Amino acid sequence: MKQPNRRDFFSRIGDGVHGAALAWLLQQDLGASEVRRTYDQKPRAPHYEPQAKSVIHLFMNGGPSQVDLFDPKPELEKHAGAAAPRDIVNQLEFTDEVGTLMPSPYKFSKRGQSGIEISDLLPSLGGVVDDITFIRSMHGEHFNHEPSLYLMHSGRTLPGRPALGAWVVYGLGTENQNLPGYVVLDDPKGYPINDLQNWQSGWLPQVYQGTKFRAEGPPVLNLRRQQELPSPLVEAERALVRRLNRTHRDARPHQPQLDARIESYELAARMQLAATDVADLSSESEETKEMYGMNDERTRAYGARLLLARRMIERGVRFVQVFIEYQIWDNHLNLDRELRYACEKTDKPVAALIRDLKQRGLLDSTLVIWGGEFGRMPLAQVGQAGTSGRDHGPAGFTMWMAGGGVKGGHIHGATDEIGHKAVENRVSVHDFHATMLHQLGLDPEKLVFNVHGLDERLIGQYPARVVKEILT
Amino acid sequence: MFGHRSVLVAVLGGLLSLGLQSTLAADFESDVLPILEEHCLICHMEPAQAGLRLDTPASILEGGHSGPAIVPGVPDDSLLLLQVVSGQMPFGEEKLPDAKIDAIRDWIDESGRSGQLAQATVATETDVLPIFQMRCGLCHGKRRQEGGLDLRTLASRLKGGESGPALVPGDPDNSLVLQRVVAGEMPPPDMLFESRVKPPTDAEVAVLRKWIAEGALAAAEKALPEEAPLSNADRTHWAFQAPVRPAVPEVSNGDRVRNPIDAFLLRELEAKGLGFAPPADKLTLMRRAHLDLVGMPPKPEEIDEFLADAAPGAYERLVDRLLDSEDYGERWAQVWLDVAGYSDSEGVIDEDRERLHAWRYRDYVIRAFNADRPYDRFLVEQLAGDEVVDYENVESVTQDVVDTLAATGFLRLTPDGTYSTANASLQEKFNVVADAMQVLSSAVMGVTVGCARCHDHKYDPLSQREYYSLSSIFQSALDPYDWVPPTERFLEVGLDSERKAAESANKPLEEQIERLQAEFRELVNPHFERELERRLAEMPEDLREPLRAVARTPRMERSPEQRRLAHEHKELLQVPNADGEWHQIAEAFPELKDTAGPLNTRIKALKKDLIPLPKIRAVYDMGGDPSPTYLLQRGDAQSIGHRVRPGTPRILSASLTAYEAAPPRNSTSGNRLAFAKWLTDPQHPLTARVMANRLWLNHFGQGLVSTPSDFGLTGAAPTHPELLDWLATEFVARGWSIKEMHRLMMTSAAYRQSSRVESAAAQADPDNVLLSRMPMRRMDAEVLHDSILRVTGRLDETRFGRPARVTKQENGEIVADGTEKGWRRAIYLLKKRRLPVTLLEVFDAPKLAPNCTERRESTVAPQALQMMNGETQIEHSRYLAGRLIDERPDQARDQVAALYRTVLSRPPSAGEAEAAEADLATLKESWLAHLEDARHPGPRQSTAAWMALGSFAHAMLNSAEFLYID
Repeated sequence: MKQPNRRDFFSRIGDGVHGAALAWLLQQDLGASEVRRTYDQKPRAPHYEPQAKSVIHLFMNGGPSQVDLFDPKPELEKHAGAAAPRDIVNQLEFTDEVGTLMPSPYKFSKRGQSGIEISDLLPSLGGVVDDITFIRSMHGEHFNHEPSLYLMHSGRTLPGRPALGAWVVYGLGTENQNLPGYVVLDDPKGYPINDLQNWQSGWLPQVYQGTKFRAEGPPVLNLRRQQELPSPLVEAERALVRRLNRTHRDARPHQPQLDARIESYELAARMQLAATDVADLSSESEETKEMYGMNDERTRAYGARLLLARRMIERGVRFVQVFIEYQIWDNHLNLDRELRYACEKTDKPVAALIRDLKQRGLLDSTLVIWGGEFGRMPLAQVGQAGTSGRDHGPAGFTMWMAGGGVKGGHIHGATDEIGHKAVENRVSVHDFHATMLHQLGLDPEKLVFNVHGLDERLIGQYPARVVKEILT
Repeated sequence: MFGHRSVLVAVLGGLLSLGLQSTLAADFESDVLPILEEHCLICHMEPAQAGLRLDTPASILEGGHSGPAIVPGVPDDSLLLLQVVSGQMPFGEEKLPDAKIDAIRDWIDESGRSGQLAQATVATETDVLPIFQMRCGLCHGKRRQEGGLDLRTLASRLKGGESGPALVPGDPDNSLVLQRVVAGEMPPPDMLFESRVKPPTDAEVAVLRKWIAEGALAAAEKALPEEAPLSNADRTHWAFQAPVRPAVPEVSNGDRVRNPIDAFLLRELEAKGLGFAPPADKLTLMRRAHLDLVGMPPKPEEIDEFLADAAPGAYERLVDRLLDSEDYGERWAQVWLDVAGYSDSEGVIDEDRERLHAWRYRDYVIRAFNADRPYDRFLVEQLAGDEVVDYENVESVTQDVVDTLAATGFLRLTPDGTYSTANASLQEKFNVVADAMQVLSSAVMGVTVGCARCHDHKYDPLSQREYYSLSSIFQSALDPYDWVPPTERFLEVGLDSERKAAESANKPLEEQIERLQAEFRELVNPHFERELERRLAEMPEDLREPLRAVARTPRMERSPEQRRLAHEHKELLQVPNADGEWHQIAEAFPELKDTAGPLNTRIKALKKDLIPLPKIRAVYDMGGDPSPTYLLQRGDAQSIGHRVRPGTPRILSASLTAYEAAPPRNSTSGNRLAFAKWLTDPQHPLTARVMANRLWLNHFGQGLVSTPSDFGLTGAAPTHPELLDWLATEFVARGWSIKEMHRLMMTSAAYRQSSRVESAAAQADPDNVLLSRMPMRRMDAEVLHDSILRVTGRLDETRFGRPARVTKQENGEIVADGTEKGWRRAIYLLKKRRLPVTLLEVFDAPKLAPNCTERRESTVAPQALQMMNGETQIEHSRYLAGRLIDERPDQARDQVAALYRTVLSRPPSAGEAEAAEADLATLKESWLAHLEDARHPGPRQSTAAWMALGSFAHAMLNSAEFLYID
């Protein structure tokens, strides 16, 4: 009898089987340049022992202002009103609205046991700083939203490369075969810049593309028919497809793609139940809903999406990415009004997510990432009628990580005295990506996919180092 | 070389950082040299690998083939640091420990602050030319000479403009150009944003000053370091040799050999004790040939015709028929559009603006395939159509002239966001050109030249200098320093008939628009006047009249003094008039929302209906001398290295007539035409092989070279090298005819095999590398899309022209809009990067950034969801069912038979027909129950019968038998 080879084994393996034999077989699949015949989202062993199993990426569209939120700069007070140095002005996007150095109008307070200072605009987050590492020395490569979004989500300032979540599910598969491994929750109040290009699979197979879950109605596109039919009719047609496909397959031995096709229809059917179930928040306690701010109009929608993110992680979704209202942090000309709005919308839900993950024992295995595509300038950008805000600032900004084997109550790196440029322990976007992969047990150098004859990586050909200093 | 910049950065470093104190201090001798001695000097002293010595600060600064090894004060831009941080160096060793890396970083940083590396160097024209080019060229260069001043050459600078000579050699302080720059007047601050010119850095100002002070010395281009000689292994790599025609082998099973392809394949099969699978049956072969060549299954009457043709050669006649069909071009053009990266939108930025004229390139490709344009000619037209046809002097513009020019759209398909000011930096422009090079090399040349943009290619013998020489060939048309945004870069050449048709269709619309616009102006402008006067009244009296004049003068017509005023009083002048953006008007005068608002909406809607006058999104020489091309260190537009001249890579050029440009006429350089001739030389080692392999890949599921865009050292070796070379030489011998190649491949015994996998073949040839059977393939996204329309009878067969619109539905699904006749083939749907048609996207239609040289195939649940639940598929199925019922009322058995024939291109077996009858009965019963529950007002019996057949048809469209090609 013919021994089933490894690929046959994988193409026929049932869902949710995680025996030692499987683990061993998965171990055999680790060649760096290995070319896979079939692409699926079945679980695969990491390159080494992981600290985190899943990721929640809270993406903060627009570029939150580090000097008003996380990176206090008393020096700015001293220089307030001073003209900006020419080489900084040279980097601005809006070269015709240049103001002077502008200190933050907000008070910073020491919070938690660690005594980390954050802005009073974020009172709830202040309560969980001891679970967070703030990286104050992030730096990007571009002054514009679109290229910076591409960079943050795919490692290059140009479109076309796979998103973070696509890489992760390509590398690790996902635990729950009835849900997509990479889920995107966007904000019905405004699609993000670049829209679906933010979660595309690029040249990775389609199976790794982010699946958008909608806030209302059927959560996944075409999960159900637009004109719903009674279940006997649906079932009758499904049974017919199944029979046609099995007859077809049985006449064609040694064609594993036909098994996969049949399985994809079964999965689609199971997904109808699983996706509907995960999106149903009614079973959550009143206390939980309150914690996420679902009883307050300002926080209700964002809170509900973070709660949904937690429910996905609980059910074994690998990578959840939460986008937010258009460019809510892009505060060019009316910093005070807009920044307050963004903080009010997010502060309570984000803190709740961390608390909730922690109390359920999920924080250790879930890496929570918070950040935008860049930060903002310490200079004022002056608009009409005396309003002021801040222009884009990719030279130095803050992002944070929590859980997933990252230190709590920790600050890494620093910007210069005015909060413009990262100067100490600088962390590039590629370093950040490498660190994320590393925590998931993926070697950023070895997670490769062959394109045009070249082994492509998330970190590309760029120098990237895992920021070991922030790891427990 | 421009490397002196770094020295001057060092001198000035301390001034730039707000006096921020550094606690760092590092010394070369004690902190860095020991590390270099231990890890680097074995290769980078004697001999100096890559021309680089690392033993002294001066030699480090001098650098090697890739430019200076450090930029003092800027560790993150320093090659030395980048190489050790990435672990790429030290070569063959573990990555350096962090402590050592930090020591190097600190020293580079410190050397910037202390200026310890400042040396006495002389600045020459070579150093300042790029500064003038980058910072001044837009207004004082080829296209414009503001104030009569041209700053491109030393002579033109000395000659100066209306204000006198731009410089006085030896006297920087009295040199106008330096004065204006230092005073911050030039480049003009109010034009910076829209022109995307950045003022010179302090370091560049210092270079200018030094150069003038030293007497404005002429260019002193250093001789370029010798390129490393090509190694023997590189030179002898199979793909870099011209293909040699091999003898056709003798095989034992000669009776299975229909043409030489079979002999080459059988030799390898027989060596493993295998042979071809039995021939496929007639209908299987017919469906395969149809889906392969025209991308849709046969119509029932075509099946009848084919089955009726019992004479020998029926299959060959079928292939001929399909090749003659116009459907053929629409299927195979898609193969080329993939590798070319065709899209109807600019991409890059969120707006993803539509390319109104790109479709002419798509139509050109379809026509070229249908006309069997010889491949060499096809390439020449795409690279240099504008140099082939003297379009400025043709007597009449024919479709052929239009097509030849539209062909050059090939290099204009890449994502290009430079039409938006915010994305029009020099770097973005270089990115667009780099993408075009990527398309050219991966689609046509089969080498990955893109790697050499930032550094010498790691695997293939392609240097960074060769990359920029190649890209320099295109600079006369795509010049980042002399850039025309994609939304303005057109040739206004078109058929008279088309122009007239558009004009007469537009005329009534335009009149209506004009009328509405007059109304609009009348509404808005009084508000503008009032508001302006109100604001002016608050100003000092002597300023009012000049400011009023500024406000009424269009921006680009303002005098320098007016520009200064405008910049100073920007806010005051931000009162929109009727020519302004509507959202600004609405914000300034909310009271106009109800009156001018609807007018504005109507004007916009009318404008959408205007037919664009014919324009061609072409590549064409911009005239005059192109700007100098430089090697860009790390691909960074601001890091200028050696100057390079147009040329082709050495490794590919050995056996070919040398590239040499001869302008075909005065207005064009001839560079691209010369390149196209070099590329289509029959002796070219790659061109014919790459295309032969691509055709093979699309007929047989995998290429003879499984990396179709990389034939280089790390690409896959061919599975059948002699077959590949035989095909490549045959291709050239048959006049580069693509249709001849289809015929050759499809009439082989290999192609006519069954796809059933016998156990012996599965064991001995598990991946079907030897072609022991025909591979079973899944339909491509477009084939699936078109096939659904063809079999359900909803295909609108209109060919060519502007793309059909697509719409994002409320549920998020993106679908094609229907026409009066149905729905058009996928190739004619608007390809907007931000709006991919969902059905195509889930079935792996590529995301083009910039192109796709081989499709990947996935099997995922969203495909099942889309096919099972997507409203469009359900409606099409019901339409088909209704049609079949109308044609054969009350004959359920015939309806089922017709359904099988239409959808699966075969009759049902007796068992299938019987089962179908039972299925239809069950479905009908369920539908009846449903209609009763829903209190359906119409006739229930006949509706249920129709719906049941619709459900059955829908199940068939969902079946693997429909989706897969045996």
